[in-house]
Amino acid sequence: MKLDALTKIPKVLGAGIATADGFVIESQFTVGYNAEKSAAMAAKVVNTTKQSLNIKKVSVIFYTQNSVFFIRETEAGIFFVICQKDANIGLVKIKINKIT
Amino acid sequence: MPDELAIDSGALIFATLADVYLSSGMIDEAISILKDGLSRNPQYTLAKVILGRAYYAKGEIEEAIEVLEDAYKTAKDSESTNFYLGQCYEKLGEHDKAIEFYEATLKLNPNNEGAKKELETLRPTPTQVEQEEVEPGLEVTVPEEEEIEPAPEPATPIVEEGNIEVQAEPVKEGEEERVEAIALPAEPMEEKVEEISEPVAAEVKRPPEPEEVPEQPAVAEMPFVPLESLSPPMNRLLDLDAIKGAFISSKDGLLIQSYYKDEVDLEEMCAMIAAIHNEAEQSFKFLKEGDVEKFLIEKENETICVMAVGESLLTIVTKPEAKPGLIFVYARNIIDEIKEILG
Repeated sequence: MKLDALTKIPKVLGAGIATADGFVIESQFTVGYNAEKSAAMAAKVVNTTKQSLNIKKVSVIFYTQNSVFFIRETEAGIFFVICQKDANIGLVKIKINKIT
Repeated sequence: MPDELAIDSGALIFATLADVYLSSGMIDEAISILKDGLSRNPQYTLAKVILGRAYYAKGEIEEAIEVLEDAYKTAKDSESTNFYLGQCYEKLGEHDKAIEFYEATLKLNPNNEGAKKELETLRPTPTQVEQEEVEPGLEVTVPEEEEIEPAPEPATPIVEEGNIEVQAEPVKEGEEERVEAIALPAEPMEEKVEEISEPVAAEVKRPPEPEEVPEQPAVAEMPFVPLESLSPPMNRLLDLDAIKGAFISSKDGLLIQSYYKDEVDLEEMCAMIAAIHNEAEQSFKFLKEGDVEKFLIEKENETICVMAVGESLLTIVTKPEAKPGLIFVYARNIIDEIKEILG
Protein backbone atom coordinates (compact mmCIF):
# COMPACT_ATOMS: atom_id res chain seq x y z
CA MET A 1 0.00 0.00 0.00
CA LYS A 2 2.90 2.29 0.75
CA LEU A 3 3.97 2.04 -2.86
CA ASP A 4 0.66 3.50 -4.09
CA ALA A 5 1.76 6.95 -3.01
CA LEU A 6 4.75 6.67 -5.29
CA THR A 7 3.26 5.02 -8.33
CA LYS A 8 0.44 7.59 -8.41
CA ILE A 9 2.96 10.33 -9.20
CA PRO A 10 2.93 11.11 -12.92
CA LYS A 11 5.75 9.56 -14.95
CA VAL A 12 6.72 7.14 -12.17
CA LEU A 13 7.15 3.81 -13.91
CA GLY A 14 7.27 1.62 -10.86
CA ALA A 15 8.38 1.12 -7.31
CA GLY A 16 9.29 -1.80 -5.12
CA ILE A 17 10.86 -3.08 -1.93
CA ALA A 18 13.57 -5.72 -1.99
CA THR A 19 15.56 -7.67 0.54
CA ALA A 20 19.29 -7.07 0.97
CA ASP A 21 19.97 -10.10 -1.19
CA GLY A 22 17.82 -8.81 -4.04
CA PHE A 23 14.49 -10.64 -3.69
CA VAL A 24 11.28 -8.71 -4.27
CA ILE A 25 9.15 -8.13 -1.18
CA GLU A 26 6.55 -5.97 -2.85
CA SER A 27 6.35 -4.18 -6.18
CA GLN A 28 4.10 -2.14 -8.46
CA PHE A 29 5.38 -1.72 -11.98
CA THR A 30 3.93 -0.65 -15.29
CA VAL A 31 4.02 -3.18 -18.11
CA GLY A 32 7.45 -3.70 -19.64
CA TYR A 33 9.43 -3.28 -16.45
CA ASN A 34 10.84 -6.24 -14.66
CA ALA A 35 10.56 -5.83 -10.89
CA GLU A 36 12.84 -8.79 -10.16
CA LYS A 37 15.69 -7.48 -12.26
CA SER A 38 15.29 -4.02 -10.78
CA ALA A 39 15.28 -5.41 -7.25
CA ALA A 40 18.43 -7.40 -7.88
CA MET A 41 20.11 -4.37 -9.38
CA ALA A 42 19.07 -2.17 -6.45
CA ALA A 43 20.47 -4.65 -3.93
CA LYS A 44 23.71 -4.92 -5.86
CA VAL A 45 24.19 -1.16 -5.97
CA VAL A 46 23.32 -0.78 -2.29
CA ASN A 47 25.85 -3.42 -1.27
CA THR A 48 28.62 -1.92 -3.40
CA THR A 49 27.96 1.61 -2.16
CA LYS A 50 27.77 0.46 1.44
CA GLN A 51 31.06 -1.37 1.23
CA SER A 52 32.82 1.34 -0.74
CA LEU A 53 31.84 4.39 1.23
CA ASN A 54 31.11 2.79 4.59
CA ILE A 55 27.59 4.23 4.77
CA LYS A 56 25.06 2.88 7.27
CA LYS A 57 21.93 3.58 5.23
CA VAL A 58 22.45 4.04 1.52
CA SER A 59 20.42 6.62 -0.40
CA VAL A 60 21.32 7.04 -4.05
CA ILE A 61 19.75 8.63 -7.11
CA PHE A 62 20.99 7.48 -10.52
CA TYR A 63 20.29 9.44 -13.70
CA THR A 64 20.69 7.23 -16.72
CA GLN A 65 20.13 8.00 -20.40
CA ASN A 66 16.54 6.81 -20.24
CA SER A 67 15.32 7.17 -16.68
CA VAL A 68 15.96 8.05 -13.06
CA PHE A 69 16.39 5.48 -10.29
CA PHE A 70 15.94 6.11 -6.59
CA ILE A 71 17.39 3.55 -4.27
CA ARG A 72 17.08 3.86 -0.51
CA GLU A 73 17.92 1.43 2.22
CA THR A 74 15.43 1.34 5.09
CA GLU A 75 14.58 -0.88 8.02
CA ALA A 76 11.86 -2.51 5.93
CA GLY A 77 14.18 -3.28 3.03
CA ILE A 78 15.59 -1.59 -0.04
CA PHE A 79 13.17 0.87 -1.65
CA PHE A 80 13.59 1.38 -5.36
CA VAL A 81 11.65 3.68 -7.65
CA ILE A 82 12.00 4.08 -11.39
CA CYS A 83 10.66 7.14 -13.17
CA GLN A 84 10.96 8.90 -16.48
CA LYS A 85 13.64 11.53 -16.88
CA ASP A 86 11.13 14.35 -16.98
CA ALA A 87 9.28 13.26 -13.84
CA ASN A 88 9.18 15.58 -10.86
CA ILE A 89 12.21 14.18 -9.09
CA GLY A 90 11.79 16.51 -6.13
CA LEU A 91 8.26 15.28 -5.51
CA VAL A 92 9.33 11.64 -5.75
CA LYS A 93 12.07 12.35 -3.25
CA ILE A 94 9.64 13.92 -0.79
CA LYS A 95 7.26 10.96 -1.10
CA ILE A 96 10.09 8.50 -0.53
CA ASN A 97 11.15 10.45 2.56
CA LYS A 98 7.59 10.27 3.88
CA ILE A 99 7.20 6.56 3.23
CA THR A 100 10.55 5.54 4.63
CA MET B 1 19.10 31.44 -9.04
CA PRO B 2 20.26 34.38 -11.23
CA ASP B 3 19.01 36.85 -8.60
CA GLU B 4 20.86 34.97 -5.94
CA LEU B 5 24.05 35.29 -7.92
CA ALA B 6 23.46 38.85 -9.06
CA ILE B 7 23.57 40.06 -5.46
CA ASP B 8 27.27 39.32 -5.40
CA SER B 9 28.15 40.98 -8.69
CA GLY B 10 31.46 42.20 -7.30
CA ALA B 11 32.70 38.66 -6.98
CA LEU B 12 34.15 36.70 -9.85
CA ILE B 13 31.02 34.57 -10.03
CA PHE B 14 29.43 37.09 -12.41
CA ALA B 15 31.22 35.28 -15.24
CA THR B 16 29.37 32.08 -14.40
CA LEU B 17 26.05 33.88 -14.34
CA ALA B 18 26.85 35.49 -17.68
CA ASP B 19 27.81 32.11 -19.06
CA VAL B 20 24.43 30.74 -17.97
CA TYR B 21 22.66 33.69 -19.65
CA LEU B 22 24.73 33.20 -22.79
CA SER B 23 23.92 29.49 -22.89
CA SER B 24 20.23 30.39 -22.57
CA GLY B 25 20.43 32.82 -25.51
CA MET B 26 20.15 35.93 -23.31
CA ILE B 27 23.07 37.62 -25.00
CA ASP B 28 22.33 41.24 -24.05
CA GLU B 29 21.93 40.32 -20.39
CA ALA B 30 25.21 38.41 -20.51
CA ILE B 31 27.04 41.37 -22.09
CA SER B 32 25.59 43.76 -19.54
CA ILE B 33 26.68 41.60 -16.58
CA LEU B 34 30.12 41.03 -18.02
CA LYS B 35 30.71 44.72 -18.71
CA ASP B 36 29.61 45.54 -15.20
CA GLY B 37 31.74 42.79 -13.68
CA LEU B 38 34.77 43.68 -15.77
CA SER B 39 34.56 47.29 -14.64
CA ARG B 40 35.15 45.91 -11.12
CA ASN B 41 37.60 43.19 -12.12
CA PRO B 42 39.33 44.46 -15.28
CA GLN B 43 41.99 41.72 -15.13
CA TYR B 44 39.55 38.80 -15.12
CA THR B 45 40.54 37.03 -18.30
CA LEU B 46 37.81 34.42 -18.25
CA ALA B 47 35.14 37.12 -18.19
CA LYS B 48 36.77 38.75 -21.21
CA VAL B 49 36.67 35.47 -23.10
CA ILE B 50 32.97 35.03 -22.28
CA LEU B 51 32.32 38.65 -23.32
CA GLY B 52 34.11 37.96 -26.59
CA ARG B 53 31.88 34.92 -27.10
CA ALA B 54 28.81 37.01 -26.34
CA TYR B 55 29.78 39.67 -28.88
CA TYR B 56 30.51 36.95 -31.40
CA ALA B 57 27.09 35.40 -30.77
CA LYS B 58 25.52 38.82 -31.25
CA GLY B 59 27.35 39.25 -34.54
CA GLU B 60 29.51 42.14 -33.30
CA ILE B 61 32.74 40.62 -34.49
CA GLU B 62 34.92 43.74 -34.24
CA GLU B 63 34.05 44.15 -30.56
CA ALA B 64 34.57 40.43 -29.98
CA ILE B 65 38.07 40.62 -31.48
CA GLU B 66 38.92 43.68 -29.41
CA VAL B 67 37.97 41.95 -26.16
CA LEU B 68 39.53 38.60 -27.08
CA GLU B 69 42.79 40.20 -28.23
CA ASP B 70 42.88 41.95 -24.87
CA ALA B 71 42.38 38.61 -23.11
CA TYR B 72 44.99 37.03 -25.38
CA LYS B 73 47.65 39.42 -24.08
CA THR B 74 47.50 37.77 -20.65
CA ALA B 75 46.32 34.31 -21.69
CA LYS B 76 48.22 33.26 -24.77
CA ASP B 77 48.02 29.64 -23.63
CA SER B 78 44.25 29.70 -23.29
CA GLU B 79 42.68 27.20 -25.61
CA SER B 80 39.30 28.91 -25.70
CA THR B 81 40.79 32.38 -26.35
CA ASN B 82 42.72 31.04 -29.33
CA PHE B 83 39.71 29.14 -30.62
CA TYR B 84 37.26 32.05 -30.39
CA LEU B 85 39.78 34.42 -31.96
CA GLY B 86 40.06 31.93 -34.80
CA GLN B 87 36.29 31.95 -35.19
CA CYS B 88 36.12 35.76 -35.22
CA TYR B 89 38.83 36.11 -37.85
CA GLU B 90 37.23 33.38 -39.90
CA LYS B 91 33.97 35.30 -39.79
CA LEU B 92 35.78 38.41 -40.95
CA GLY B 93 37.27 36.45 -43.83
CA GLU B 94 40.82 36.75 -42.49
CA HIS B 95 41.53 33.10 -43.02
CA ASP B 96 45.29 33.22 -42.48
CA LYS B 97 44.86 34.65 -39.01
CA ALA B 98 42.03 32.23 -38.29
CA ILE B 99 44.24 29.30 -39.29
CA GLU B 100 47.02 30.60 -37.02
CA PHE B 101 44.69 30.67 -34.04
CA TYR B 102 43.15 27.29 -34.79
CA GLU B 103 46.62 25.82 -35.05
CA ALA B 104 47.53 27.38 -31.72
CA THR B 105 44.35 25.86 -30.25
CA LEU B 106 45.33 22.43 -31.50
CA LYS B 107 48.82 22.83 -30.07
CA LEU B 108 47.25 23.44 -26.68
CA ASN B 109 44.73 20.65 -27.08
CA PRO B 110 45.28 18.27 -30.01
CA ASN B 111 41.80 16.83 -29.40
CA ASN B 112 39.89 20.07 -29.96
CA GLU B 113 37.35 18.85 -32.50
CA GLY B 114 36.07 22.35 -33.29
CA ALA B 115 39.48 23.64 -34.29
CA LYS B 116 40.17 20.48 -36.30
CA LYS B 117 36.95 20.89 -38.27
CA GLU B 118 37.51 24.58 -38.90
CA LEU B 119 41.03 23.90 -40.11
CA GLU B 120 39.75 21.22 -42.43
CA THR B 121 37.30 23.64 -43.99
CA LEU B 122 39.76 26.52 -44.20
CA ARG B 123 42.65 24.56 -45.60
CA PRO B 124 42.17 23.20 -49.10
CA THR B 125 43.18 19.57 -49.37
CA PRO B 126 46.40 18.87 -51.33
CA THR B 127 44.39 17.12 -54.05
CA GLN B 128 42.23 20.21 -54.57
CA VAL B 129 45.27 22.45 -54.80
CA GLU B 130 46.86 20.05 -57.21
CA GLN B 131 43.79 20.06 -59.43
CA GLU B 132 43.38 23.80 -59.29
CA GLU B 133 46.91 25.01 -59.59
CA VAL B 134 49.16 22.45 -61.18
CA GLU B 135 48.95 22.71 -64.90
CA PRO B 136 50.34 20.10 -67.24
CA GLY B 137 53.74 20.96 -68.66
CA LEU B 138 54.63 23.32 -65.84
CA GLU B 139 58.36 23.33 -65.23
CA VAL B 140 60.03 24.82 -62.20
CA THR B 141 63.75 25.46 -62.39
CA VAL B 142 65.92 25.15 -59.33
CA PRO B 143 69.31 26.76 -59.88
CA GLU B 144 71.46 24.63 -57.58
CA GLU B 145 71.60 20.92 -58.05
CA GLU B 146 73.50 20.31 -54.79
CA GLU B 147 70.45 21.02 -52.68
CA ILE B 148 68.47 18.30 -54.28
CA GLU B 149 71.11 15.61 -54.60
CA PRO B 150 70.68 14.03 -51.16
CA ALA B 151 67.04 13.43 -51.86
CA PRO B 152 65.76 9.91 -51.21
CA GLU B 153 64.72 7.51 -53.90
CA PRO B 154 61.07 8.50 -54.45
CA ALA B 155 62.11 12.05 -55.28
CA THR B 156 64.61 11.10 -57.97
CA PRO B 157 62.17 10.75 -60.88
CA ILE B 158 61.36 14.43 -60.44
CA VAL B 159 64.97 15.62 -60.31
CA GLU B 160 66.46 15.70 -63.75
CA GLU B 161 69.72 17.43 -64.68
CA GLY B 162 69.41 20.21 -62.17
CA ASN B 163 65.76 20.83 -62.88
CA ILE B 164 62.69 19.90 -60.93
CA GLU B 165 59.87 19.04 -63.17
CA VAL B 166 56.43 19.27 -61.67
CA GLN B 167 54.08 17.08 -63.58
CA ALA B 168 50.43 17.07 -62.81
CA GLU B 169 49.67 13.51 -63.75
CA PRO B 170 52.24 11.22 -62.18
CA VAL B 171 52.29 12.77 -58.71
CA LYS B 172 52.55 10.14 -56.00
CA GLU B 173 50.67 10.24 -52.74
CA GLY B 174 53.57 11.03 -50.44
CA GLU B 175 54.68 13.88 -52.71
CA GLU B 176 51.48 15.88 -52.81
CA GLU B 177 52.55 18.44 -50.24
CA ARG B 178 55.77 19.16 -52.06
CA VAL B 179 53.94 19.65 -55.32
CA GLU B 180 51.70 22.13 -53.58
CA ALA B 181 54.72 24.09 -52.40
CA ILE B 182 56.26 24.27 -55.83
CA ALA B 183 53.14 24.72 -57.82
CA LEU B 184 51.79 27.76 -56.00
CA PRO B 185 54.07 30.33 -57.70
CA ALA B 186 52.82 29.77 -61.20
CA GLU B 187 53.61 32.99 -63.05
CA PRO B 188 56.83 34.71 -61.87
CA MET B 189 58.43 31.33 -61.74
CA GLU B 190 62.17 31.77 -61.51
CA GLU B 191 62.16 34.39 -58.75
CA LYS B 192 59.74 32.53 -56.53
CA VAL B 193 61.39 29.21 -57.01
CA GLU B 194 64.55 30.66 -55.55
CA GLU B 195 62.61 31.62 -52.45
CA ILE B 196 61.13 28.22 -52.00
CA SER B 197 64.14 26.17 -53.00
CA GLU B 198 65.13 25.53 -49.40
CA PRO B 199 61.77 24.19 -48.25
CA VAL B 200 61.78 22.02 -51.35
CA ALA B 201 65.09 20.51 -50.38
CA ALA B 202 63.85 20.04 -46.83
CA GLU B 203 60.73 18.35 -48.03
CA VAL B 204 62.62 16.10 -50.39
CA LYS B 205 64.79 14.88 -47.53
CA ARG B 206 61.77 13.48 -45.70
CA PRO B 207 61.72 9.72 -45.18
CA PRO B 208 59.83 8.22 -48.07
CA GLU B 209 57.95 5.50 -46.21
CA PRO B 210 54.56 6.71 -45.01
CA GLU B 211 54.56 4.41 -41.96
CA GLU B 212 57.52 6.15 -40.36
CA VAL B 213 56.26 9.69 -40.76
CA PRO B 214 53.28 9.60 -38.38
CA GLU B 215 55.09 7.49 -35.79
CA GLN B 216 58.02 9.82 -35.14
CA PRO B 217 56.11 12.93 -34.04
CA ALA B 218 53.85 10.79 -31.86
CA VAL B 219 56.85 9.67 -29.85
CA ALA B 220 58.52 13.06 -29.81
CA GLU B 221 55.45 15.09 -28.89
CA MET B 222 53.44 13.62 -26.07
CA PRO B 223 49.76 14.71 -26.10
CA PHE B 224 49.64 17.87 -24.06
CA VAL B 225 46.87 18.03 -21.47
CA PRO B 226 47.00 21.42 -19.74
CA LEU B 227 45.64 20.47 -16.32
CA GLU B 228 46.12 24.06 -15.13
CA SER B 229 43.42 25.09 -17.55
CA LEU B 230 40.99 22.98 -15.51
CA SER B 231 41.39 25.41 -12.65
CA PRO B 232 39.25 28.34 -13.91
CA PRO B 233 36.08 26.26 -14.40
CA MET B 234 36.67 24.25 -11.25
CA ASN B 235 37.33 27.37 -9.19
CA ARG B 236 34.05 28.85 -10.39
CA LEU B 237 32.36 25.75 -9.04
CA LEU B 238 34.26 25.86 -5.76
CA ASP B 239 33.19 29.46 -5.26
CA LEU B 240 29.90 28.04 -4.00
CA ASP B 241 29.93 27.90 -0.22
CA ALA B 242 28.03 24.65 -0.08
CA ILE B 243 30.77 22.77 -1.89
CA LYS B 244 33.34 21.02 0.28
CA GLY B 245 35.53 19.95 -2.58
CA ALA B 246 35.69 18.37 -5.99
CA PHE B 247 37.94 16.14 -7.98
CA ILE B 248 38.21 14.63 -11.43
CA SER B 249 39.09 10.99 -11.82
CA SER B 250 39.16 8.48 -14.61
CA LYS B 251 36.46 5.83 -14.88
CA ASP B 252 39.01 3.25 -13.80
CA GLY B 253 39.47 4.99 -10.48
CA LEU B 254 42.62 7.03 -10.94
CA LEU B 255 42.83 10.62 -9.79
CA ILE B 256 43.27 13.22 -12.54
CA GLN B 257 43.06 16.47 -10.60
CA SER B 258 41.92 17.34 -7.12
CA TYR B 259 40.33 20.52 -5.81
CA TYR B 260 39.61 19.16 -2.37
CA LYS B 261 39.91 21.47 0.58
CA ASP B 262 39.94 18.85 3.36
CA GLU B 263 42.52 16.19 3.90
CA VAL B 264 40.91 13.08 2.54
CA ASP B 265 42.36 9.92 1.08
CA LEU B 266 41.39 10.88 -2.43
CA GLU B 267 42.94 7.89 -4.12
CA GLU B 268 40.68 5.61 -2.13
CA MET B 269 37.70 7.86 -2.77
CA CYS B 270 38.37 7.87 -6.54
CA ALA B 271 38.56 4.10 -6.56
CA MET B 272 35.32 3.79 -4.60
CA ILE B 273 33.42 6.25 -6.77
CA ALA B 274 34.63 4.47 -9.90
CA ALA B 275 33.59 1.12 -8.41
CA ILE B 276 30.06 2.36 -7.72
CA HIS B 277 29.81 3.99 -11.14
CA ASN B 278 31.01 0.92 -13.01
CA GLU B 279 28.80 -1.42 -11.03
CA ALA B 280 25.76 0.77 -11.64
CA GLU B 281 26.58 1.20 -15.31
CA GLN B 282 26.78 -2.58 -15.75
CA SER B 283 23.47 -3.05 -13.98
CA PHE B 284 21.65 -0.35 -15.92
CA LYS B 285 22.98 -1.65 -19.19
CA PHE B 286 21.56 -5.02 -18.22
CA LEU B 287 18.23 -3.30 -17.60
CA LYS B 288 18.62 -1.53 -20.99
CA GLU B 289 18.45 1.88 -19.36
CA GLY B 290 21.58 3.23 -21.03
CA ASP B 291 24.71 4.77 -19.53
CA VAL B 292 24.80 6.41 -16.13
CA GLU B 293 24.97 10.18 -16.67
CA LYS B 294 25.17 11.20 -13.04
CA PHE B 295 24.37 10.00 -9.57
CA LEU B 296 23.92 11.40 -6.15
CA ILE B 297 24.84 9.64 -2.92
CA GLU B 298 23.35 11.11 0.22
CA LYS B 299 25.40 10.57 3.35
CA GLU B 300 24.73 11.87 6.84
CA ASN B 301 27.40 14.54 6.76
CA GLU B 302 27.73 15.20 3.03
CA THR B 303 26.27 14.60 -0.39
CA ILE B 304 28.37 13.24 -3.22
CA CYS B 305 27.40 14.24 -6.76
CA VAL B 306 29.16 12.34 -9.52
CA MET B 307 28.84 13.29 -13.18
CA ALA B 308 30.26 11.46 -16.17
CA VAL B 309 32.40 13.77 -18.30
CA GLY B 310 33.44 11.76 -21.33
CA GLU B 311 35.85 9.15 -20.03
CA SER B 312 36.25 10.91 -16.69
CA LEU B 313 34.14 11.41 -13.60
CA LEU B 314 33.61 14.77 -11.97
CA THR B 315 32.88 14.26 -8.27
CA ILE B 316 31.56 17.13 -6.20
CA VAL B 317 31.27 16.72 -2.44
CA THR B 318 28.82 19.12 -0.85
CA LYS B 319 27.52 19.92 2.57
CA PRO B 320 24.25 18.13 3.38
CA GLU B 321 22.27 21.38 3.17
CA ALA B 322 23.46 22.09 -0.41
CA LYS B 323 20.81 22.33 -3.09
CA PRO B 324 21.49 19.51 -5.54
CA GLY B 325 19.65 21.32 -8.34
CA LEU B 326 21.97 24.30 -8.05
CA ILE B 327 25.05 22.07 -7.96
CA PHE B 328 23.93 20.30 -11.13
CA VAL B 329 23.29 23.62 -12.91
CA TYR B 330 26.79 24.81 -12.07
CA ALA B 331 28.37 21.49 -12.89
CA ARG B 332 26.58 21.32 -16.24
CA ASN B 333 28.09 24.65 -17.18
CA ILE B 334 31.64 23.59 -16.56
CA ILE B 335 31.34 20.08 -17.93
CA ASP B 336 31.78 21.19 -21.55
CA GLU B 337 34.90 23.07 -20.65
CA ILE B 338 36.32 20.05 -18.82
CA LYS B 339 35.43 17.83 -21.78
CA GLU B 340 37.21 20.23 -24.09
CA ILE B 341 40.34 20.16 -21.95
CA LEU B 342 40.44 16.44 -21.24
CA GLY B 343 39.16 15.37 -24.61
